[in-house]
Amino acid sequence: MKGKIIVITSGKGGVGKTTATASIGSALALEGNRVLLVDMDIGLRNLDVVMGLENRIVFNIVDIVKGKCKIGQAAIKDRRIDNLFLVPASQSDNKDAITPEEMIRLCEELREEFDFILMDCPAGIEQGFENAVVAADEAVVICAPEVSSIRDADRIIGILFSKSITPKLVVNRIVPEMVERGDMLSHEDVVDVLSIDLIGLVEMDDQVVVSTNMGTPTVLQKNSKAGDAFRRIAMRLNGNEDLPIVVPQVPNRFWKKLGLKIGLGK
Amino acid sequence: MNMTDRNKSPIKLKGVGNSLWVTFDPTQPVDFLQEELTKLFKRMKHLVVNARIVLDPGEQEGCDDVVKKLRVFLKDTFDVGAVSKPPVKRAVKEERIRQRDIGSSWHNSASEVLMLTGRVRSGQKITTKKHVLILGDVNPGGEIVAGGDIVVMGSLCGTVSAGQPDNEDSIVLSLDFRPTQVQIGGFLAAGIPSSRGKTVEFASVEDNAIVVKDYLKANPFGRLPQPLVR
Repeated sequence: MKGKIIVITSGKGGVGKTTATASIGSALALEGNRVLLVDMDIGLRNLDVVMGLENRIVFNIVDIVKGKCKIGQAAIKDRRIDNLFLVPASQSDNKDAITPEEMIRLCEELREEFDFILMDCPAGIEQGFENAVVAADEAVVICAPEVSSIRDADRIIGILFSKSITPKLVVNRIVPEMVERGDMLSHEDVVDVLSIDLIGLVEMDDQVVVSTNMGTPTVLQKNSKAGDAFRRIAMRLNGNEDLPIVVPQVPNRFWKKLGLKIGLGK
Repeated sequence: MNMTDRNKSPIKLKGVGNSLWVTFDPTQPVDFLQEELTKLFKRMKHLVVNARIVLDPGEQEGCDDVVKKLRVFLKDTFDVGAVSKPPVKRAVKEERIRQRDIGSSWHNSASEVLMLTGRVRSGQKITTKKHVLILGDVNPGGEIVAGGDIVVMGSLCGTVSAGQPDNEDSIVLSLDFRPTQVQIGGFLAAGIPSSRGKTVEFASVEDNAIVVKDYLKANPFGRLPQPLVR
């Protein structure tokens, strides 16, 4: 069976595409799939750092496309998770170093070797985005509960639909306390505007910063809310579509409230 | 046959609209009428080719045979276009009923509305010279430019320009009216505050400014005497 190419995109930068790619890819590999992560952000590569594989890069995606090396030579194997590979982006080239036709040819080869190929799409809707989505079978749109992120995600969704790709939505960086106070848009508001299938809600988690800096995928962190959420998203992408979506909740603050009542703490 | 009648031409020719109006005396013999027509039409040469001819027998009735003969004669001899009798004049009362029917003949009018279903997303733009009816939402960043009215059966959060370029009678109506910017004709309004209640609102031009009102309360078309094609 041929592998599935999933593009992880958002339109806006800094909403968690790379983190999501690393986390979902790791989770899919932990489930026993042969997974390849492809950093399509040519010129501004990050996925290698998030995965902690930056010091093992020899070849990159531009080298594969231009025939300087084979896929097996450029794909870096993760030592912590079996069946997880990374093809890094080139840091010294431009986004137009690869053409969409070259990407289609490359993806045909990648489909033969991997179960899942996750494309970390660059921000924007220019050449880099075109290259990332040209051969995609599915798309995951990452959106933060902010109006600017929603606006860009909406644009991306429109473009994906025009390319006959039906995207799925992940709402990232939800702060339940702020949602409860009415300071942040709820995931319902986001889904209301974007109106596509939701496949996961990810809570804001300090552990993501820690794992990014350490180069460890979030799903390997214990007690990480974001890690758990990404694991569930991976399960849904892996065919377990009926898995219920867990809505981030404000933790029960009974003891804290009681402490405040009796004058303990601030 | 009265010779005095022969001296006076039984044919009068007049240009009416895009046709030639031929008034003739149906009491005269057909061959005489044909002779007279030939005299007139020969002078006009190519102008009569394919021309529309109206044969008017005046107030005389029951002269269909003469009209028929002259029609065949004109078509064969001068290669004219359509030959018809003058339109029937109706009584005032009858005409009034007819006008009222024309007014309500919306069921016969060709569609002046572009009706779309779905969601207009950020970056998508719909441009038309007609009215627009959207069964769906217009997201922030979505844009609609119409020559007439814009009606959104859903949330309107994008940018809309109705009555482009200069129709200031156009309206913008939405079930959930929260547009980023509204333009009607040459008037522009931005930062329209959204109303608290979920009411159907519409924007129109009043006193050289765009005004947003509750549609059901204002009922802008409620006073029209009958349904009219917009």
